[in-house]
Amino acid sequence: MNPVIRREFVGILRSPRAFGMLACLTLVFSIAVLTRWPSDASVDLSGLQSLQVFRVFGYGLMTGVVFLVPAFPATSLVNEKNSGTLALLLNSPMNGGAIYLGKISGVLLFSLLVLLCSLPASAACFAMGGIGGDKFFFLYLVLGLLALQYTTLGMLISSYVQTSDSAVRLTYAAVFALLFLSLLPDAFFRGTGVGGEFAAAIGDWTRNLSPLPAIMEIMGQGGMGSLGLKTLPGFTRFIALAVVSSAGLAFWTIARLNHRIFDQSRSKGVITDDRGTKSRVVRRLLYIVDPQRRKGGIPWYLNPVMVKEYRCRRFGRAQWLLRLVSICAVSSMVLTYMAATGVTSWGVETIGALLVLLQVLLVIVLAPSLGSGLISGERDSGGWELLRMTPISSFRLVFGKLMSVVWTLLLVLMATLPGYVMMVLIAPELSLQVQQVLVCLLWTSIYALAISAAVGSLFRSTAVSTSITYVVVISIFLLPLLVWLGRDAPFGFESVQTALLTTPVGAALSVIEAPGFESYDLLPASWWIAGVLSSLMFLVLGVQVWRLSRAV
Amino acid sequence: MSVSGTSAVIQIDQLTKQYGEFTALDSLSMQVEQGQIMGFIGPNGAGKTTTIKILVGLLKPTSGGARIAGADCLTESRRIKKLVGYMPDDFGKYNNMRVSEYLDFFGAVYGLSRKPRLKRIDEVLEIAGASYMKDLFVDALSRGMQQRVALARTMMHDPEVLILDEPANGLDPQARIDMRTLLLKLSDMGKTLIVTSHILPELARVCDVVAMITKGKLRAFGTVDSIMKDIQQRRTFEIQLLQRESVAGATKNVQVWLDQQAEHEKGGPGKATGAEAEQMVRFNTSLGDDAIAPLLAQLVQQGQPVSQFREVATDLEDAFLHVANEEQASLDSADSTEVAAS
Repeated sequence: MNPVIRREFVGILRSPRAFGMLACLTLVFSIAVLTRWPSDASVDLSGLQSLQVFRVFGYGLMTGVVFLVPAFPATSLVNEKNSGTLALLLNSPMNGGAIYLGKISGVLLFSLLVLLCSLPASAACFAMGGIGGDKFFFLYLVLGLLALQYTTLGMLISSYVQTSDSAVRLTYAAVFALLFLSLLPDAFFRGTGVGGEFAAAIGDWTRNLSPLPAIMEIMGQGGMGSLGLKTLPGFTRFIALAVVSSAGLAFWTIARLNHRIFDQSRSKGVITDDRGTKSRVVRRLLYIVDPQRRKGGIPWYLNPVMVKEYRCRRFGRAQWLLRLVSICAVSSMVLTYMAATGVTSWGVETIGALLVLLQVLLVIVLAPSLGSGLISGERDSGGWELLRMTPISSFRLVFGKLMSVVWTLLLVLMATLPGYVMMVLIAPELSLQVQQVLVCLLWTSIYALAISAAVGSLFRSTAVSTSITYVVVISIFLLPLLVWLGRDAPFGFESVQTALLTTPVGAALSVIEAPGFESYDLLPASWWIAGVLSSLMFLVLGVQVWRLSRAV
Repeated sequence: MSVSGTSAVIQIDQLTKQYGEFTALDSLSMQVEQGQIMGFIGPNGAGKTTTIKILVGLLKPTSGGARIAGADCLTESRRIKKLVGYMPDDFGKYNNMRVSEYLDFFGAVYGLSRKPRLKRIDEVLEIAGASYMKDLFVDALSRGMQQRVALARTMMHDPEVLILDEPANGLDPQARIDMRTLLLKLSDMGKTLIVTSHILPELARVCDVVAMITKGKLRAFGTVDSIMKDIQQRRTFEIQLLQRESVAGATKNVQVWLDQQAEHEKGGPGKATGAEAEQMVRFNTSLGDDAIAPLLAQLVQQGQPVSQFREVATDLEDAFLHVANEEQASLDSADSTEVAAS
């Protein structure tokens, strides 16, 4: 047996987080089936009841694969590289292919375990009758390929990055892009005639990069974004794309697994001020806020910890934020403009819902990435001990760290303001709703930050804290939406409303009257709940920082 | 325990730290005076880092206390943080930051205002011999460069006392010499230094006083010379032979001679050991030069092909090993007594 497989698989199985995930998944699947298990002796010949359970079960399983699987491959190569063990492996008689096979098999065996955890629940679902075995087969096939695709993607990213937290962040960003953004071209250009048939075909294929259309088709709900048009079976295209892309990603990563992976010269650190005039002008135009210019020292009115946090991030520095904000601002205006000019048949509410969802996704990707390492990053790098030696108070330290994330998230939130302003101009009666939505999004950001900072502070290693924080934040924000997907069946109105109350995302969608959310009354209770839970999380963070700062 | 008896900057009094049943520090007492460099040596897990962490206010002692420049390490942690610069073994790097930004940050958290801070960055880089690293990225520095930047960081707030944990760790020979010069320069500036290191010859060259600690107990404290004198009560000699075959016979002869000296109460018991591969016999004894001289004559008379007869100079490393071995021997005897009693 390949020794890397044994070490990887056993290593994952021995980790408490893997055990916790498997236990939670089994519990969730069992509860999902139990809630809809027939309580009387009558038989539902239409199979409607089992289909309802099957849908919740299928989407739940997909959510599990999407959010649990990428965390493991994302850190696998970068951790080996940083700990020096990859160099040892490359010096052994094993070649790049064998090392890759060993590492990927470990993660895939774990994914298989995740899927196996759901087997008792799927058997129960099958026993309820009304659903053919082929549907289960296709569901597991699609999910298995999805796990393969995300694993190969995570490992490729892991082979390029230098730190484990950036590996997790980039992998989840790529997964979200594949899951949601791949749907956009088809949704916008179908039937508009823009770009002709070729653009439509590209959009159609791009759409199938996401597992959502394939899963929806298996669930008997039609492909997402198909708008009732007859298309090729989604899961066939998804299977083809997943196999081809996984193979491509795997070969790409194997090609990188040689000694050249360590070929990275130390940066000379040339400062823009020391470059030629032409270079300086180009960089000024390109960056606006050039990260390589010589700094003039931290001014007295700024919290030094906040400035440090900004400076030692690669992604969070001003030039990146400005780019992000610009993209958000332009996209939100384009979306609203398209709704206003009738380029799409979507109403303002749908555009509003899309804006909310895109913004929430951005917050979910950014908040754990920036917030989870606030304390664990310092402990990991040895900086915590140095900070403890300085006269700075724990409160000022934590405040500076939190503010570095708050400003970033605020910028992201403000980036879509032009889109909302345009929405109010188109439909002035939406003014109050837009204000409420913005408050909801503000609470979403604060809540996501509080969870990320609190959960992240509980771990010593940045990689572990980032992975677990992502899973926790994603679960908290997306599980209510999963419950909403099962509205009316298997979950009743009250259950869905209660689930939606737990995050301000549901409230934002309800306020903007997104399709399917109109009937829920979530304000102001949702704000109160988010406020109380955020306070609790900040309290956990405070206690943890106090615990770590005191002399014992 | 002070060396010269003048006013002490660092006073450690009966410092004890226990983790449950385990005693990490056992009634440690010592004093270091201003401008002195104290070498703090001991094997891994001896209690050096625990002592340092108590001194800088990161740990609380179970009993006893410590003061630095009059400030209590237990109750005046804020004052201690301004008085002490601590350079841990771990560099504590921040990614994507340049050396100047890194020092600027630490200067800011120590409360230095902007203009003096920028001036101070140049000063400390100059002292640490790292001015050319100002614009380099911290995460791209080699180990030796990191040590210099770490020292610059430790000096940013101009502390009275510098505590350096393994400053020579991972440095090449030239960098070690530079570090040694740097420590002497800091001492000349009136700074008091506590330096831990496993590279004992390095310490012997720069330290005014040395503290040896094993299993949480202070085993020796004083100037390097005074510790050597204590250790040199037993001297080690080497007899180089021309033929490998002669080693066994020569070893036996030396041992017989040592036993005879012990019988006549001319010296304590000595032990001779032979090393065939090196064609050498080693022995230790407390005898003086006059008493030892006849041994050489006797060996030559016996026909042993002696090419060299020399005393092995004792250095700090030997002193440390002697102290550590004594400690181990006393532990072993205590164990065997316990076994016998049971």
